[in-house]
Amino acid sequence: MDGARRLLSIPVLIHLLFFRPVLKLLFGVHVEGREHLDGLQRFILVANHNSHLDTLLLFHVLPVRHLRRTHPVAAYEYFSRFRAVRWLVEFLLQPVWIVRGSVGEDPLAGMRDRLSQGRSIIIFPEGTRGRAGEIARFKSGVGRLAAEFPDVPVVPVFLTGPEKALPKTRSLLVPVWNHVRVGPPRFFHETAADFTAELEGAIRGLAACEGPRHRRSRRTRQPPTLAVLGIDGSGKSTLSRALSRRLSSDARACLVTDGVELFEHGERAEAPPLLAEKLRASLGRRTKVAGSLKSYKIPKLAELLLRDHVVEELRDWYAPDVVVLDGSPLLNITAWTGLYRNEAMDEAMCLSALRILSGRDESLAPDDPVYRTFPELVTLRRLHLAHMRVPDAVLFLDVDPVVSMERIRSRGEERQVHETEEKLGRLRGGYRMVCRVVERDLGIPARTLDGGRDAGDVLVMALEELRRMDLAAFAHLTGLKEIDPHG
Amino acid sequence: MPSEAPQVTVAALFAVLTLFALIGRRMGVPRAVVAYMPYLWAFFLFFVLSEFVSFAVGIWVLAALSFLALREFFTLVDLRIEDRWGMVAAYLAIPFMFYFIQANWYGMFIISIPVYAFLVIPIAITLSGREVEGSVLSIGALDLGLFLLVYCIGHIGYLAFYSTWTAILVVAAVAICDLFAWLLKARDRDPMRSVAYQLFAPLPVIALLALAVRPWTGIPLVHSLILAVGIPGLVAIGCQTIDHLEADLGIDRRRLQPGRGEVINTMKSFVYVGPVVFHYLRYFLDAY
Repeated sequence: MDGARRLLSIPVLIHLLFFRPVLKLLFGVHVEGREHLDGLQRFILVANHNSHLDTLLLFHVLPVRHLRRTHPVAAYEYFSRFRAVRWLVEFLLQPVWIVRGSVGEDPLAGMRDRLSQGRSIIIFPEGTRGRAGEIARFKSGVGRLAAEFPDVPVVPVFLTGPEKALPKTRSLLVPVWNHVRVGPPRFFHETAADFTAELEGAIRGLAACEGPRHRRSRRTRQPPTLAVLGIDGSGKSTLSRALSRRLSSDARACLVTDGVELFEHGERAEAPPLLAEKLRASLGRRTKVAGSLKSYKIPKLAELLLRDHVVEELRDWYAPDVVVLDGSPLLNITAWTGLYRNEAMDEAMCLSALRILSGRDESLAPDDPVYRTFPELVTLRRLHLAHMRVPDAVLFLDVDPVVSMERIRSRGEERQVHETEEKLGRLRGGYRMVCRVVERDLGIPARTLDGGRDAGDVLVMALEELRRMDLAAFAHLTGLKEIDPHG
Repeated sequence: MPSEAPQVTVAALFAVLTLFALIGRRMGVPRAVVAYMPYLWAFFLFFVLSEFVSFAVGIWVLAALSFLALREFFTLVDLRIEDRWGMVAAYLAIPFMFYFIQANWYGMFIISIPVYAFLVIPIAITLSGREVEGSVLSIGALDLGLFLLVYCIGHIGYLAFYSTWTAILVVAAVAICDLFAWLLKARDRDPMRSVAYQLFAPLPVIALLALAVRPWTGIPLVHSLILAVGIPGLVAIGCQTIDHLEADLGIDRRRLQPGRGEVINTMKSFVYVGPVVFHYLRYFLDAY
């Protein structure tokens, strides 16, 4: 009776009458080795992970009686960004939630509970969706779990097709044929590490029959970004431009400043206009004529968010080898927070803000004080805007506000609302704090340069600091290796 | 001959194929033949629906068949992530073209893919960004798949619009050629002799069939015989061409599966036959 009720439950009917026919019609699921699941009372299904379609495909393979007794392991912070999505996932798939990167919490606890209840689980041991057609190294959790439940069979499954139908970073679903290859079940033996390696080998073995069918773009990875920070009048725009020119000697460098500038062979190249950049520039002009900090805040925030979006778009449209940011949207927002709420900003708060804004907030408790102090962060998260790009390296041009004000006055331009010695002094403090936190807690190299010196000297110092960082992300830039920056 | 005879014959053929598709595997029929059956059955489903329900309904079975073939091609061909909008444009061309067939809008049918779809696909590719490397190859691959597996197959649909029995004759003739090819290849490994047999062995059977259904197709005797001679040649040309492409797509004919070449391998014989027979009849016969 209980079994019949479970069979007729709404989620099961949705799986059988909606997901399975739609997947079959649009995505042509072809399954090999389904018989390996026959007769298993409970199991740990282990599969490669390239797409959000993977879980649905695995549910397509499951015997009907297992549909409500199998629980995929899913990242809570990813699916909880939208309440409706989380509800839908919970309703249809009953996942075991894990919070990635959480400290002090046993990530296997939920899986252990389900297996102890006689249920089955689906694990993607790569931890996250990988690049199309690639299998990343397996994390050890699956081996440790199998060691705790040596009588539960572990079934390796190789999925191919989802990485083309719905790859990571794309939201457009395209019909292509999907193949699910189920391998024979395995039982734990030897050590957790060995068993994890054995499972990885089993899935690679299942994948070996597939021919390589992925023509890779040269520039599918995000280019490395270098952020130059500093208060107004510190010379960061001059330094950013000089660095872009220098780094483009044998590469394509993109400078994101008040506009987007492209550099090739050390010279400015033509950059076709981007719609998002035009919108950002228009907002940027509005912020410059704001009469108060209050009316400055929202347009500036929107402008910085758009600037971050522009950085994402650069890869597709300009294909640069390196991006130089005249001010990082993420770090600027965080530093500017201090300008508005100076008394509340300390290093712990700064780190929490950085984590939230960059989407690395999985370890933050929902009642973290940062949410009460800065309710804007909650709004940004709800609007799905808190996933800003963290630069690969940071250079901070430190300059006395008195000097910077002199430079601003010498330009003869109309001054912006925050361009006073007092406010620039607070901003300087904010930037210093951000640099400290970024280097210490996020592991991003952040170096401070004396912005009071001559522009040529600053460029020399900047190049030396970048060389000293010795980052793999910048290793391909020959402009960085050249010794004489004046050459 | 009773006036219902053509319809009764279509229904009977469909019933036989349905039965064969259902119990063929259990009867120990070779796998290659069993795998061929669902696609032949789909063609006859199209004919049955056209005869007994409406051509406007039946034509969508052929549209679905084209979609399956194109989807398989896009699965196997080496496309980039940046080509996704181009793939969507190619898929969207299918309903448009088959709508033009059922609306008897010949002018639009004939240019919808070679003009409009081929103009839309390149611009769709550029919408994914400025990653230019490989764009030319991708546009070529998308166009080729759409042309061979949708446009060429679509001609059989238009043929059925004019005369269901002419389309049945073409499909049955192609199936006979494929059956002979399979039988001959299984017995004789010499490729040259095999091709010669493929060209001439099915000829008498197809000629007899063409003459037998002549009252229902309305094709004059001479043209029926020319078709009987021409179809095996066109099947051979189609197979030669697609076999070459299959090798590049990584299709292993010993391990055909849905999504891994089964659909394309089955449809390859129709690729040249559909358009050539259609335009031949349209040129020489007033009824087309």
